[in-house]
Amino acid sequence: MNPIISVRGLRKNYKKTEAVKGIDFDVEEGEIFGFLGPNGAGKSTTINMICTMINPTSGSITINGYDVASQKARVRESIGIIFQENTLDEKLTAYENLMLHCRFYRVPKSERQRRIEEVLEIVDLQAEIKQRVDTFSGGMKRRLEIARGLLHYPKVLFLDEPTVGLDPQTRAHLWEYILRLKEEQGITMFLTTHYLDEAEISSRVAIMDAGSIIALDTPDALKRQLGGDMIELATEDNALAQQEITKQSTPESMTEHEGTLFIRTDDSNRFISQLLPTLTPAVTSLNIRRPTLNDVFLSFTGRSISATKGDG
Amino acid sequence: MEGIYGIWLRDITKFFRDKARLFGSFTMPILFLLIFGGGLSGTMESMMGQMTGADGDFNYVEFVFPGIVAMTLLMTSIFSSLSIIEDKDFGYMKEILVSPVSRVSIAIGKMLGAATVACIQGIILFMLIPFLGLTYDFVSLLLVLPFMFLFACALSGLGLLIASVIRSTQGFQMIVQILVMPMIFLSGALFPINNMPAWMHTIVMLNPVTYGVDVMKKIMIDVDSLSPEVVEAMGLNLEIFGRLITIPEQILFIAVFAVVLVLLATVSFRRTNA
Repeated sequence: MNPIISVRGLRKNYKKTEAVKGIDFDVEEGEIFGFLGPNGAGKSTTINMICTMINPTSGSITINGYDVASQKARVRESIGIIFQENTLDEKLTAYENLMLHCRFYRVPKSERQRRIEEVLEIVDLQAEIKQRVDTFSGGMKRRLEIARGLLHYPKVLFLDEPTVGLDPQTRAHLWEYILRLKEEQGITMFLTTHYLDEAEISSRVAIMDAGSIIALDTPDALKRQLGGDMIELATEDNALAQQEITKQSTPESMTEHEGTLFIRTDDSNRFISQLLPTLTPAVTSLNIRRPTLNDVFLSFTGRSISATKGDG
Repeated sequence: MEGIYGIWLRDITKFFRDKARLFGSFTMPILFLLIFGGGLSGTMESMMGQMTGADGDFNYVEFVFPGIVAMTLLMTSIFSSLSIIEDKDFGYMKEILVSPVSRVSIAIGKMLGAATVACIQGIILFMLIPFLGLTYDFVSLLLVLPFMFLFACALSGLGLLIASVIRSTQGFQMIVQILVMPMIFLSGALFPINNMPAWMHTIVMLNPVTYGVDVMKKIMIDVDSLSPEVVEAMGLNLEIFGRLITIPEQILFIAVFAVVLVLLATVSFRRTNA
């Protein structure tokens, strides 16, 4: 597979701070690329540079074979962007918003009507075509924005916090649309989100912190890299249990949080079958799970992503 | 081109959709016409009559009407450019800025949109001509239209430039207070620019609105039929460095002004990291 986005030595300095410290990565054609990072990690700066919105201090970006610095118009034609905030004109109808987009992106006149109907069908908004956008619900607006982003048949769709501010049901629906898009249209997606369970659908995930990319792999590989399973254990005397566990084995990590011990271990079978029965304090609850992206994020950045909610 | 058209079409569509703005656009110029045309005309005409000695030749309403049209163009052009601040606030500017539409096309589209809205308002004022007892030549009204559009483009360019450096709507209102009002009063739109203190006269001559108003008056008012004293009293013998300025020179000046402002606005878009 060929990289559709290629970033080399990308750097951005603001007066005194280095927002992005020379990063390299590729996004493969047809993948969902999850881009995660705590607040102020340089995520937004990086995306804005890729989307031609701000100029890098140094380094190069290629999208769909076009150079972002010298072929801005070509790059802009190749990408669709769903911004975190609403960028529809709410005083206009859905149709008018889409038609304007066709004009901005020079969609051939003979194609416009057909494409507008096509993208509205993808997001299930055919019936609302003549309605003004200010009558739409939050979820409908998001869907319309996604439809608009698809009108010019972009090679890459950027989704910046696409589900922020939506209720869980609408979120789930939106992901159905997005996944269907990937399967049916094969569009490459560049995704940022604060909901790490949503990032699980990514083909690969990059974690950015303090201006650098500190991890880049498939979600499974990242979780494997953490190793083993997460055991959540609560006993009648956690302090004593901790002592006894460390005496008999060396777990990868063990932390206590709100009355529960979080133990990461390579061999959860041995832990359950041999070590657990020997504990003196009675076990009140036990849960074994695979590490999640949240555990990965926590271990790489030392912070939980939910604590960094907001624009990174 | 398609991008310019899209940006223009959007602003025109929204102008006609916004009922309050549409209604408000009718009322303000009519109010000015009532006040300046009805209220001031008697006083102005008797003062002018004393000055020129040629009593009755000076028709103040005929004099002030092109001025009020010019003033409407100025106000509407500048206020329509305000839409660019709204576009930034409501996020739509991002949609435009990430599209392949060139920055100069955005500026031109916005400028043409504001200028079109301004001209529509100017034409609405023309419909009042019969009710004001004025008799402008129909051909001169047709001739003045292209110039009105050019003039409105220049003023919209100015509005765009202001809008691109001002972040908030409130800031914009303040600029309008300290810039637009003097531009109207010191342009010869509402009263003749004669016998002013030297410093004020300098401002008048630096004010681009002065030349726009002057051209509109010279096209619309049948200057040849007036006595030389009245033409002088109307302040229509505009001189710079002791030389009479011709209409083509003024039109050229306005056109250059428009181009320069659009280019400056383009540069400011290029800097914008919306």
